[in-house]
Amino acid sequence: MTTVLQFGPVLVHLDRLLWGLMKTLEYAFLSVAFGTMIGILGAVGRGFGPRWLSVIIAAYVELIRNTPLLIQLYIVYFSLPLIGMKFTPGTSAVIALSIHLGAYATEIIRAGVESIPVGQIEAAKSLGLSPYRIVRHIVLVPAVRAVYPSLSAQFILQLMGTSIVGAIAAEELTAVANNLVMQTFRSFEVFIVVAVIYFVVVQAASLLLAGLGRLMFRWKQ
Amino acid sequence: MRVISKLGSLGAMLGALVLCAAASFVAPASAQTVDEIISRGKLIVAIDTTTPPYGFLDKDLKPTGFDIEVAQKMGEALGVPVEFVTVTSPGRIPSLLTKQVDAVISIFSITPQRAIQIDYSIPYAGQSAVVIAPKSAQIKGPEDLVGKKVGLTRGTGEDGLLTAAAEKHPGIEILRFDDYSSLLQAMVSGQIDAMGGGDYGEIYLKKAQNGDDFEQKYILKTFYFGIGVAKDNHNLRQWINTWLFTLKGDGTLEDLSMKYRNQPLPVLPVF
Repeated sequence: MTTVLQFGPVLVHLDRLLWGLMKTLEYAFLSVAFGTMIGILGAVGRGFGPRWLSVIIAAYVELIRNTPLLIQLYIVYFSLPLIGMKFTPGTSAVIALSIHLGAYATEIIRAGVESIPVGQIEAAKSLGLSPYRIVRHIVLVPAVRAVYPSLSAQFILQLMGTSIVGAIAAEELTAVANNLVMQTFRSFEVFIVVAVIYFVVVQAASLLLAGLGRLMFRWKQ
Repeated sequence: MRVISKLGSLGAMLGALVLCAAASFVAPASAQTVDEIISRGKLIVAIDTTTPPYGFLDKDLKPTGFDIEVAQKMGEALGVPVEFVTVTSPGRIPSLLTKQVDAVISIFSITPQRAIQIDYSIPYAGQSAVVIAPKSAQIKGPEDLVGKKVGLTRGTGEDGLLTAAAEKHPGIEILRFDDYSSLLQAMVSGQIDAMGGGDYGEIYLKKAQNGDDFEQKYILKTFYFGIGVAKDNHNLRQWINTWLFTLKGDGTLEDLSMKYRNQPLPVLPVF
């Protein structure tokens, strides 16, 4: 059997695929922004907060890191409405993705926080810096800088992880691709085109994150 | 040299054996007339066991369902046991073209495209693609879906029908799910206002906690299932039509529909 690849019937729908790509980027960007915020708060809370807060954060991290993202999506979209919290597929996707990334970001940033020598914090205290300035400038910035490569790798995983939100009817690149497959029956061609789009975008995002890192943390060692 | 020629003749013999086996494997199994089926002593029917409630496996892994019971009744009427050949939906026409089976009874929707290659009996069952929604919702047609979230399973018949409706009536928001269980879950949890599905969809919804709150609103399209036979097998097709006529008359088909689909059959046209 010979398979003849015909990209024509797929490429006429390129506008739909690009629309899907915009949704993918939207979910990835919003969830990375919220997830990083959760991560910073979580890491600081765990490192400097009271004991009870530390326990709650640890429980959150373990709960999320030991359950699949797909199940988290289902719970946000299908189960929360039963207790009166109803969100659209798009909002549910951003909520689940943010909570998911937040747990991983908490752990990654916490590792950075723990890498800060106690002496550095004591030095800041003896210089009379306020607790806020100590946490922000003496702990967080060097901590995030130390773990920035791991953090960017997690962001990249998050970008690709958005491909499963079609399960709760949130449209993004992969969901649009599945629609196209059902319409054109050219699964091979559709998925090749989509793989190329993902590759280019993910590669670009990696370069962008590396460049951002260099820009943000450009002081001398 | 002798050894080689001996090996050669052995190879030839083996080859011939394999050919024989292959030939007997693809030899036409289907009978041309009702007489031939009866004298052969069995009826060979293609079924699909992945299409509940029409064809599926019971807890003992034996085929059961609406279609399977129709096939068994056909065997009873002919006075011969039924041999089942499991096919997938794209394998139904080839099973008749290669004469592997006498008949196909497997939610075989009657379409003019298929009728170019095979012949159909009159419909013995039908199923509608319908819109299902909560009883409280006032939905009588596509215009009532404007401004509502309508869920469906990606790539199904309902997808095509409701997408077309959404193009005609802007404002219908279509949400596509990957499988039927996610779609039902979205309906039960109130994430969608209505859904497109098969007319047996309510059976599954009723199993949910608040399942009784849903009802069928309107029919998108009705598909009719016929029994497929090989092209130009008029003898068998005529017998099947006559037999189906009696099944419709004595209420057998209606009973089967209530048993497996929990609702009466649509009106079955004849041709």
